[in-house]
Amino acid sequence: MSSRFDHQALFTEHLEVALEELAQASGLLPDEIVELVEYGVLQPVGGNSIEGGGISAWRFSARAIVLGRRASRLKADFDLNVSGLALVLTYLERIEEMEAELARLRCQLLG
Amino acid sequence: MKYKDYYKILGVERSASDEQIKKAYRKLARKYHPDVSKEKDAEEKFKEVAEAYEVLKDAEKRNAYDTMGYYQPGQEFRPPPDWEQQFHSGGGGGFQDLGDLDLFDLLSGLGRGGFRAGRSGGEFRMRGQDYEVTAHLSVEEAARGSEIEVPLPVTEMSGEGQLRRTTKTVKVRIPKGATDGQRLRVPGKGGPGHGGGPDGDLYVNVQLRPHDLFRVSGHDLYLELPVAPWEAALGAEVQVPTLDGRVSVKIPPGSRAGQKLRVRGKGLPRPGGAEGDLYAVLQVVTPSVLSEREKQLYRDLQQASSFNPRAHFG
Repeated sequence: MSSRFDHQALFTEHLEVALEELAQASGLLPDEIVELVEYGVLQPVGGNSIEGGGISAWRFSARAIVLGRRASRLKADFDLNVSGLALVLTYLERIEEMEAELARLRCQLLG
Repeated sequence: MKYKDYYKILGVERSASDEQIKKAYRKLARKYHPDVSKEKDAEEKFKEVAEAYEVLKDAEKRNAYDTMGYYQPGQEFRPPPDWEQQFHSGGGGGFQDLGDLDLFDLLSGLGRGGFRAGRSGGEFRMRGQDYEVTAHLSVEEAARGSEIEVPLPVTEMSGEGQLRRTTKTVKVRIPKGATDGQRLRVPGKGGPGHGGGPDGDLYVNVQLRPHDLFRVSGHDLYLELPVAPWEAALGAEVQVPTLDGRVSVKIPPGSRAGQKLRVRGKGLPRPGGAEGDLYAVLQVVTPSVLSEREKQLYRDLQQASSFNPRAHFG
């Protein structure tokens, strides 16, 4: 299967990568990615069912690459285990959502 | 070669224990790690801290570093004459030309017999480093797409097996459709691979600079649209700026401050082809100086109107 990840690409919701590509792009081990999926931090597109092809059939969105790369940096720089990593990533994502909402609301405020 | 004081960077004594070094690193990492920090220049500071820790946490590298002696940060220096034999570094060439060699690169070569030995043995194959950079674009550049030049500090190996730190300039085309916070991956444009390993990738984070008129939310733009009280009350047709010229916008009668008027398709382009929208947020403004005639007309309006904006206060 040819990958859409071979060329310069904007990370859009249309871009999807397989587990091996996510591992290569993020620097995480495939086992760590599977564990982060179990913690619910990374979610394969269409769910994490292991029916019909198993984990090799998983596809991840571009967002997972951003999260995976961040996970890899945090793991190395803070010496975190996967469970600690999952907690940090969950909070960072929540903070980002709130910051995005704050920025959106600020746009609508009168200066 | 320029000296870096790794102990000073971590804020520890030269006699610090491994545990003290680890603690100092963790404290600074929490403060400056670019994924969690809001500090100014967090990324640059964290790089220094990480480099210092990388050397000082490793007994062999720390010993090699200590043996070089102590200099002022930034001072040009050469390791002692027997240093290379003692530590089998990847510096190579008997220190003939260390001017542009980085201290960290020299120390990084330790522990695996140096880059030179690894390469000649044909066993040392390593993928090039990935780089992550931030591109600051204007809103106009994001709308029409833009080409940027990214200088990357890369470490290369010369024909003689010496490490060299050089700057590689990579041209990246940011396609239209990119907006604030968006990322772009450019395969093979990161650091060069070693020993036949593939080149690393370049990741570009797009950040938009603040615009005088437009505020950006995703692919939508927000514009503050000042209107006179009578325009808000009676309705009006006004010209508003967009990224590609002015368009006419109808203000409905009885409009209020804060009300949003949508101008469809005048936001930033989306990667799929469609465009975001422009929202004009109404701001009712009053003249700061009124003529006698205007004052009189306001007084007449006051007399004639039964409008009570605070009726809900009871």
